[in-house]
Amino acid sequence: MNGALGHLTVLDLTHWLAGPYCTKLFAAYGATVIKVERPGTGDPVRSAGPFYEGREDRERSIPFLWLNTGKKSVTLDLKTAAGRELALALAERADVVVESFRPGVLDRLGLGWEALHARNPRCVLTSISSFGQTGPYRDWAATDMTLYALAGLMHCTGDPDRPPLRSGPAVAQYTGALGAYMGTLMALFARSRTGRGQHVDVSLHEAAIENIEIQMVDQLHLGRNVKRNGDNHVLFPWQLQPCKDGQAAVVGGPVRHWLAAAPMFEEPRLLQDPYRRMDGRMAHRGEVAELLAPWLMRHTRHEVYHEGQRRRLAFGYLASMDEALESPQLAARGFFEEIDHPVVGAQRYAGAPFRPQATPPRQTRAPLLGEHADEVLCELLGRSRAEVEAWRAEGVV
Amino acid sequence: MQPLEGVRVVDCSHDLAGPHAGRLLADFGADVIRIEYARRMDVLRGGRKDDRFYDKHPRWLQVNRGKRSLTLDFHRPDDVAIFKGLVRVSDVVLDNSRPGVLDRHGLGWEVLRALKPDLVMVVAPAYGCTGPEAHYGGYGASIEALSGVETLTAYERGGRPRRVREVDITNGFVAACAVMTGLVWRQESGCGQLIEESQLEATIATLGGEHFLELVMSGTTTLPVGNRHPRFAPHGCYPCVGDDRWVTIAVRTDAEWTRLCGVIGRGDLAADPGLASPAGRAARHAALDASIAEWTRSRTPDEAMMALQAVGVPAGAVRDQAALATDPHLAARRWILEAEDGSGRYPGDPVRLSDGPARVHRRGPRLAEHQREIVCDLLARPEGDVRIPAEEEIATAYEME
Repeated sequence: MNGALGHLTVLDLTHWLAGPYCTKLFAAYGATVIKVERPGTGDPVRSAGPFYEGREDRERSIPFLWLNTGKKSVTLDLKTAAGRELALALAERADVVVESFRPGVLDRLGLGWEALHARNPRCVLTSISSFGQTGPYRDWAATDMTLYALAGLMHCTGDPDRPPLRSGPAVAQYTGALGAYMGTLMALFARSRTGRGQHVDVSLHEAAIENIEIQMVDQLHLGRNVKRNGDNHVLFPWQLQPCKDGQAAVVGGPVRHWLAAAPMFEEPRLLQDPYRRMDGRMAHRGEVAELLAPWLMRHTRHEVYHEGQRRRLAFGYLASMDEALESPQLAARGFFEEIDHPVVGAQRYAGAPFRPQATPPRQTRAPLLGEHADEVLCELLGRSRAEVEAWRAEGVV
Repeated sequence: MQPLEGVRVVDCSHDLAGPHAGRLLADFGADVIRIEYARRMDVLRGGRKDDRFYDKHPRWLQVNRGKRSLTLDFHRPDDVAIFKGLVRVSDVVLDNSRPGVLDRHGLGWEVLRALKPDLVMVVAPAYGCTGPEAHYGGYGASIEALSGVETLTAYERGGRPRRVREVDITNGFVAACAVMTGLVWRQESGCGQLIEESQLEATIATLGGEHFLELVMSGTTTLPVGNRHPRFAPHGCYPCVGDDRWVTIAVRTDAEWTRLCGVIGRGDLAADPGLASPAGRAARHAALDASIAEWTRSRTPDEAMMALQAVGVPAGAVRDQAALATDPHLAARRWILEAEDGSGRYPGDPVRLSDGPARVHRRGPRLAEHQREIVCDLLARPEGDVRIPAEEEIATAYEME
């Protein structure tokens, strides 16, 4: 068996970001993932860029290359009856179908839950959408910023005296993708008991709210309403602070180690009341930061990081992505790995988010558009080469 | 029936990321037993002991909802024996300590797998179990900074980065994904295994991956771009009526641009050929922001959002927690859940399974609340083995007056 999920086949009807990231995880952990793309253009993210060497080309889209590692690509026009029938035939052999069409589209294509369940009762259908399959916002348009705002995250990102700030990374999309992967596996786990698949509804909006679960429960239980605070943690110190060559992450925890470690700052007042206690430090943030500053400004980020860690505090520093790419810790673990690709060549990709020790993750390159059409339609579905050629001529494949 | 009914999880994790994973599993039916150390309670139990305040923090009630509490002291052989007995009747062990903490108590992977051969164990230390910094500690604030991912979010290029919400949560999600991967593999193979999550790697592999590949392939990153967007324009956050009230507006296509102009009554902008393309609009973004803000300023976030969504333009109010609590969409989807023990309302779950929806069985447990039922009922040990920590034994992770 190849990977933890090597026994599973996933039919991937997703595009853009959240759906493809979910199925990318399935591929990394061993599942066979068959990605259905529109003939000619493919997943719209292939046209979105940024592109390798700046040249707009469907095989050079950097997000596509990242989001679709390890998958097989089949082009099928789901607007044709023949294309839909082939998709259903693939679904018959799949353990999971993941889709990210706008709600209602899958039904209109004749591939919705009822149709799918009738053809393959064991199959799990996971539907990923901005706002879920029901409710008044169901058909609304959204970018990741729309979701970041409506999920309450943007109100809590940035500075109190400036506008709310959107996240650079697509936090709502990735949170939802993780939820979709988790929920799909839960449905598969349940299937072994019931013998039946079920429909998993993932609202990226709802999944994103997980990120402020603590602020949300404080609202529901205490009526508290908090806003962005420039990254000031409730505990102190617990934030970035300038040092000799940049920003150090002065994270004064585990709190039990603080008093023993604080002499590193060569400032005796830190060991006295009120600063010796966490509540004193929280009440006098500005003064504590000033007491920390002289030592920090005499030391580099690496010195602060390693000295803090030597004293058992979870210090860090603000690394550029170039620095993270060359991190000795990540290098020792071989986290970034080189993957070759016929168009963009060998490049270094980030590894998988977790590592099953008995069944290690495996990343292989993203597919060229329609690369596996013959393999999938002939070998998996048993159709003839002549049939596939005819479909190709008609634009179905 | 909930999907994880019959699955027992020993949750040795602490703070936010690991316990968040345990909570997701509990919501979907797993029996999650939270192992606690009374002499140094979890940070989420807060800094106060008076009036057993540590049993009442909403954040504790939330992140550990549906779990049972068992206090153990691994310095006591009896407690080590109880833990081992528990592992024998469990399916999953979850831990986010520094590498070696459980090993020092003689409870590392090799010992535990001998007790329960098909055990799935997920360990999620900050930087992984190997490598020169494996023994280092980390919280979200250190991990996000070290990952490089923090540099992708800033008000302007070159500006000081800001943290996103919330890598502890996405890293906890990853741990839950790891547990489910292990359980599905076990179902197929009959085998358990050890699964390792480096939280630093998980942060990069989820939020950072596409941007790291861009850096590798092009030597630079498009982000940060503040509230703007690399391809869409205009794209921003605009002030509305009221104190700190905002609406986000994104224009993805030229058609959406025309419709936005219609809604805000600026046919002149729609007719301007210089603004007919994203590049043209991006070049005059600041002026467009001013024109849009002129319209939003006299409207509430919801008024602006509804008017734009009515014509298919992605607009979203910046919701605060109070607004989320009354959001009509979430209400229609019954997202907020009522705890079945009557302890109040809780945020809902990230996914919905048609045959086994998430539930909030009960609030996060009181310290040692389930000592007797776990030791006597589950493990069939004598009443004398039930040790409830005495008041003077109990200490918070930090002190608050």
